[in-house]
Amino acid sequence: MHAVLPCLGALVTHDKSAHQIVGSLKAAIVFRIWGGPAVTIRLANGSAAYERGAARAPSVVLFFFSDRHLNAFFGGNALAIPVPIWGGWRLGLLARFTKLTDRLTAVMDGHPDVLATAEGRALHAQLSLIVAGLGLCPLATGDGPARSALAHAPAGLACFTIEGAQNATVWFDHGPGTCDAGWGSPPRRPDVTIAFADYAIAFSALREEIDTIAAIGAGDIKVTGLVPLAEGVNLAMERLSDYLQT
Amino acid sequence: MMSTDNRYRRSQQLFARASKVIPCGIYGHTSPVASLPGEFPYYAAKAKGSHYWDVDGNEYIDYLCGYGPVVLGHQHPEVEAAAAEQQARALCINHPGEIMVELAEHLVSLIDFSAWSVFGKNGSDMTTWAVQVAREYTGRRKILKVTEAYHGMDPWCTPGHAGLIDEDRVHIHEFDWNDLDAFDRLLRTHRNDIAGVILTPFHHPVFKPSVMPAPGFWSHVESACRRDGIVLILDDIRAGFRLDLRGSHKLFGFEPDLICLCKALANGHPLSAALGRQELRVAASRVFLTGSYWNSPPAMAASLACLKIMQRDKTPETLRERGAALMLGLVQAGKKHGYVMHSSGPAAVPFISFADDPSMRRRQRFCAEVTRRGAIFHPHHNWFMSSAHTDEDIGSTLRMADAALVQMHDEGI
Repeated sequence: MHAVLPCLGALVTHDKSAHQIVGSLKAAIVFRIWGGPAVTIRLANGSAAYERGAARAPSVVLFFFSDRHLNAFFGGNALAIPVPIWGGWRLGLLARFTKLTDRLTAVMDGHPDVLATAEGRALHAQLSLIVAGLGLCPLATGDGPARSALAHAPAGLACFTIEGAQNATVWFDHGPGTCDAGWGSPPRRPDVTIAFADYAIAFSALREEIDTIAAIGAGDIKVTGLVPLAEGVNLAMERLSDYLQT
Repeated sequence: MMSTDNRYRRSQQLFARASKVIPCGIYGHTSPVASLPGEFPYYAAKAKGSHYWDVDGNEYIDYLCGYGPVVLGHQHPEVEAAAAEQQARALCINHPGEIMVELAEHLVSLIDFSAWSVFGKNGSDMTTWAVQVAREYTGRRKILKVTEAYHGMDPWCTPGHAGLIDEDRVHIHEFDWNDLDAFDRLLRTHRNDIAGVILTPFHHPVFKPSVMPAPGFWSHVESACRRDGIVLILDDIRAGFRLDLRGSHKLFGFEPDLICLCKALANGHPLSAALGRQELRVAASRVFLTGSYWNSPPAMAASLACLKIMQRDKTPETLRERGAALMLGLVQAGKKHGYVMHSSGPAAVPFISFADDPSMRRRQRFCAEVTRRGAIFHPHHNWFMSSAHTDEDIGSTLRMADAALVQMHDEGI
């Protein structure tokens, strides 16, 4: 939830199709997981903003029985529909929002029509980076192997970025028993920076389609600073695909 | 490519070609990823004495020494003559040569607790085999090791993560270096099921400063192993013969049951060895051990020559003196320019780090600047001294370090 939903903002900003779907919609859509967190997606002025917590006067509240339920929904599982516990009568809004999430799924999964263009590949890379970075905190607390990988990594702030690209930086602050992550400028100078030379390299690396060790040697990926932290974060990130494929 | 000048152009061209036909381009500990991509040479052309040249023609004073094996300097004439003489007679034949027996006898005479010796090619060959011998001897399963200690590339100990299954390490248990409470807890938890404890003589984790054994550490481990019937394996692959020709345990005042040796054994020729107590002789005979090239005589001839030269020239003393001069000079140079630098590990296998440098960037920049000036300093892996390092080498290196620190200071790094 905290990794995938923030991608809606970037999607609507950079993807024409998504932007058209949102159009002039003004709504606050709450995602709530049973016994877990809630977040709000606020649509207004042709943009989508992610907010932690439930909005006070939501247009719609979508209820999921578990993390897996929500992941399956964003994974395109037609059976994993959420329960609209508020605003279910706003069929037009729900239909458009479903289109938006379908588009998000297509971009994140890298559907052929998305990957057919350089813009689509760049957007896929950007969203993958957001998910990978923001997904680290839930992994750090909830996933055994990721927790173990990070436990062996030194504390510090890791920053992933795509060189020359705007809005293409995600950071992860790892401390003993604590973690924080964000999208955009990091809160302080990173202890390690992992910089992809361009969208194409980021795209290939995040899809595990290139030899990243060779790419680092060639300078296509630059790792500067606290290398063991980058290694630990990378190992934890690898766990993310298990959840996104659920 | 990433270099800001043409200093490593040929290296990077080769790397681009390699990346098409070799996974990682360069894999393992010599991968650019492990050092400073774009700031280090990737490929070497030749070496002589304490110097080597990369494929771009850049010359370096060598403080990595092939990551350890070169202890007398590259292309040492006596060692090379011994290897060449043996190779002129046979390189790879159907039986071991006489030299294998001579070398085993010589090694057993050097390592006083040992009664026998076997040979392989790499450190992993010996550490993995030693673990098997410990299990065979004790009839137990568990192996204790120190967290972040390197013992090779086999599944039970590799620092890598890919291609492993949980079962590979079900019986491998770790404790932190110098943490005797944690060690004792493992002894209690796995009482009567611990076959061996494998340790390096001092802790030399990658990326971090080396850590010497705390007072009482080795005596505690040794006595616990004796009391509980656990085989104590000394992984002396990295430090062996650089610290003491009788084995590094002599320096730290304990006695293992098995010792694994490799680097410094044959001055760069491919050879490793394990030696053990008489009590382990039968177990050693039962654990299968072989390799296509493991009986090859030239490396054994090189080893025998290397060991005799080190005895004759008291090489560990030379390494200690030169290493101490280098590290003292570096720390003083740092102080002169306002940097607090720490030397860690034994002087013959030293490592440098900076205070207030949690991201390692200062250390990385320092090593990159010194390397660019002509002395290779690794920012993440301990260095190695060789007896070929001269006072002039040390002096040149310290001048390079001084210039690097001036530049760093001027840039506010």
